[in-house]
Parts: sequence; C-alpha cells; structure tokens
Amino acid sequence: MHIIDCYAYSNKIRAVDPAQKAGLAVTVLLLCLLLNRPLVSLLAVVWMWGLAVWQAGLPPLVFGRVLLAELFFLLLATVAVALSVSTIAPTNPEAWLLQIGPLWLSSTPAALYNAVNLVLRALGAASAMNFLALTTPLVDLVELMRRLRLSPILIDLMTVMYRFIFVLLDSLNRMVAAQESRLGYSSYRRGMASAGLLGSQLFIDTYRRSQRLQTALDARGYTGGDLRVLPTTYYTSRPLLAVSAVAILSLLALRLVL
Amino acid sequence: MSALLEFDDVYYRYPGQDHYALEGLSVAFPEGENIALIGRNGAGKSTLFLHCNGLYQPNSGQVRFAGHPLKYDRPSLKSLRQHIGIVFQNADDQLFSASVAQDISFGPYNLGLSETEVRRQVHMAAELCGVVDMLERPTHALSGGEKARVALAGVLAMDPDLLISDELMANLDPWGRRRIFDIFHQLRRRGKTIVLATHDLNVVRRWSTYVVVMDGGRAAFAGTPDQLLADEATLEQTGLAQVWFDEV
Ligand SMILES: Nc1ncnc2c1ncn2[C@@H]1O[C@H](COP(=O)(O)OP(=O)(O)OP(=O)(O)O)[C@@H](O)[C@H]1O
Ligand SMILES: [Mg+2]
Repeated sequence: MHIIDCYAYSNKIRAVDPAQKAGLAVTVLLLCLLLNRPLVSLLAVVWMWGLAVWQAGLPPLVFGRVLLAELFFLLLATVAVALSVSTIAPTNPEAWLLQIGPLWLSSTPAALYNAVNLVLRALGAASAMNFLALTTPLVDLVELMRRLRLSPILIDLMTVMYRFIFVLLDSLNRMVAAQESRLGYSSYRRGMASAGLLGSQLFIDTYRRSQRLQTALDARGYTGGDLRVLPTTYYTSRPLLAVSAVAILSLLALRLVL
Repeated sequence: MSALLEFDDVYYRYPGQDHYALEGLSVAFPEGENIALIGRNGAGKSTLFLHCNGLYQPNSGQVRFAGHPLKYDRPSLKSLRQHIGIVFQNADDQLFSASVAQDISFGPYNLGLSETEVRRQVHMAAELCGVVDMLERPTHALSGGEKARVALAGVLAMDPDLLISDELMANLDPWGRRRIFDIFHQLRRRGKTIVLATHDLNVVRRWSTYVVVMDGGRAAFAGTPDQLLADEATLEQTGLAQVWFDEV
C-alpha cells in the first residue's frame, strides 16, 4: 500500500469528520495565499507539521520527508525568480552580479525576497494539503464531496478510479516482473519493445477488467445510476477544533503585527 | 428433491467466436444441496454461471428458476438477482469500493433497502464471513483470503437463496479454504443451496452432496458423488478416471 495512504488510514484522527480536517486545511491554505507574508507561511508550516504529529500522531519524519520532496521541486521552480540571466550587464545598482563567459547572472534583494516568499508561501499551502492527505483517506474526501453535493458521476468515477489505481499498479508490477525475468529489459532496444507491449497489454487488461467489473456489479443488482454505498460515520473532535481555531487566529495575528 | 435452477437445451456462443461455449446444456440443480460443478478448463463452468442470474442470455434454449423461465426485463432481473448471488472467480473484479463496509453495502442498497436495514445486512454478512474487524479497512490492503471473504460477504448481504461461487478457493491456502467451508456449513444450516465450481476432487468427495460434470459445453453427469464414482463410463469419457484415483 502507498505510504501516504497507510498513514491516512491509521492515524489518530482518521475517524474525525473529514469536513473538520478539510476545513482547517483549506483555511490555512487560503491564509497562506492571501496574507502573503513569509513569516505567516512559515508559521503555517510549523502549525500543520505540529498538528500532524501532535493531534494525528504521525512520526515527525514522515511529514518532514513529504515536505522535503515538495521543497526540492519548489526550489527548482523558483530559481528563475531569484536569478536572472542576460547577455548584457544589468545596470541596477542593487544587483549582485556574476559573469560566466558571455552570460551575466544577477539577482537583487527584491528578487531574492520574492523567491523566498514564493517558496514559503507554496510550502505553507503544501503543508496544509499534506496534513489533509496524511490524515484523511480518499474515501473520506469522496464522502465529503458527496455531502457537498458534487456531481454523483464525478464521485463514482473517483471511487472506481481510486480502487483501480491499485489494481492496475498490481497488474503493472506483475507484468514488469514477468518481462524482466525473461530479460525483457536487457538492452535499450528490448526495453523499448517490452515497454510498448506492456502498454498495449495493460490497456487490454484494463478493458477486460472493466467488463468483468460491469458483470459483477450487475450480478449484485446494479441497474444503472449512482453506485450507492453506506456513508461512513465520523465524530467531531473538540480538541482539534480548539487548536484549529488557535492556529488560524495566530496566523491572522502574526499578519497584523508584521 | 425439486429443481431450483434448470437449464434446458441451452446454446451460447461468445460474440465473435466460432464455437459454442454452451452446446445443448441440460441440467437441473436441486434445492438444498451442496453442489460441486467440475470440468476441465474451458468446459463452460463460468459461462453457465453467467446464465444463472440473467447476466448472459442463451442464444437458444431456456433457463428456469424455481420452475419459471427467466425473463430479461429489468424488474424481473432485479428480483432474480436477489435470489441468486454469484461470487466471481477473481475477487478483485468484484470489489470496487475503497472500503470494505461500503463494498458490502452495495448489494443491499440495490435491493432498495433503507440505511438502517442496509447496516443490519452488512453486519449480518460481515459476522457470517468473519470480516467484522476489517469493515473500515481499504479494500486494496486486504490479503487474497480476506478479499475472498469480503467478496462473499458482499453477495451474502443480499441474502440469496442460491449461492454460486466460481472457484472462490483457487488462490486460498488451506486455512483460508477451511474458513470458507465453515461459512458454507453455516449457510447450509440456513437452508441455502450452494453451487461451487472447483478443480479440487477432495471437495467433491468430502463436501458435496451432488455433482455436475461439465464437458465441452454440456453436462456429462449429474448425481451424487457415489453415483459418479460408480459410473465408469462417465469417468472414462470425461477423463476423470485418469485424475480421480491417482492424483500425484
Ligand atoms: N469473454 C470470452 N470471450 C470469448 N470466449 C470466451 C470468453 N470467456 C470464455 N470463452 C470461451 O468459452 C468457453 C468456456 O469458457 P468458460 O470460461 O466458461 O470455462 P470454465 O469451465 O469456466 O473454465 P475454467 O476452469 O478455466 O475457469 C471456452 O472455450 C472459452 O475459450
Ligand atoms: Mg471459469
């Protein structure tokens, strides 16, 4: 099972109403985006990480590792904001310059501030989503969408797709193992040929599976329309509600004093 | 011994195939028995099952449930599928929901039950199949044996009179099989009829009270295991003689 999924299913606030967790995560996300201050975003990261560990009982490193992966991509993406490259020397007196052959690499304090702000802002938003993803399995999120009256077709599609991601991953792993054990990837050429076969085989496999799924659904009396299943029962966590309020207020307060 | 389900000279060919998967199949499944359906790969067992609750319609011939020919309009199919439950060869084909409880609740909801009744049925079936402690688990995190029991629970939650199971045990270890047979014994006590496709001749000898042998899209034999053992002509003709007595 996927590692994020594992924690989503086994954390201490799994049974808390997804609306409560999503409410907190979305609010923090919006605050990061709207308040737009590096320190506020940083505080948001701290809060979300802290709540994931303290309230949900996740190992601190798990949250950290997910965040680190995101940070890596963010840094790659913001290099362009911090640095500019040109063939003529920039005239801005505040700029730091570095000449590499015919190219001028330059940055200004303002650009650097922008880049840091951007990274932290995105990191704050991402940690809010991480909190949600690590504490709430997709089933619960789908259930939440159902309550929010999202289109039933969309919800059924998500349910079935989520389920079949795992079924397909399983087929994929088995097929690759079968190909590898017959040296299907021993050279670049063989590898390309094998990958092509794999793709088409996976497509056929998926198609057959969908037909068998239809048969199985029919056998259990499905006559079209929504796939109806039991709603899950959740509880509202007062402690979480209280700390959520504190977290949100602290973000707002920090923005006011800055 | 009245026939619960009857096939009368049924022919069926898969679209685009040139041979018949069912070729003049006539057989009756008696009520209240443990029925084993055996036959080589490709003999037509799964195809037969798909005809039982109207998922496939014969090209010619007739299928009767409790004496009435099957009708293929929606309301008739719906009531038929309440009476006849099928567990499929591969549990992964059947489990579509992300959580176990939700998957089991799918059938009862299709019967038009209220949420309270659905919960009761889900609980009853989960209890029977020993999956109560995994109701909140995600379907994809189950072992093969657990998946098989959840798939079975999903069908039993609809409380069918006739349970059809297509090689449910094929991928299970001996302990997993044992648990499934325990469930079957309980069903027997509740007066259910069970049809089980199997390649395991021990199951035929030890569990079944009635055997149907499929061969080339036809029923080559139907009767008690003792009758089958005594019927040398059939054993010879279906090749069972080669495997029945001296399995390696
Ligand atoms: N989806 C399909 N499309 C075309 N032909 C099929 C399909 N399914 C089965 N057949 C053919 O119908 C015949 C009967 O197959 P069936 O699956 O009913 O056999 P079976 O007794 O269940 O075999 P097994 O023991 O392998 O499960 C076979 O000749 C098979 O090739
Ligand atoms: Mg079969």
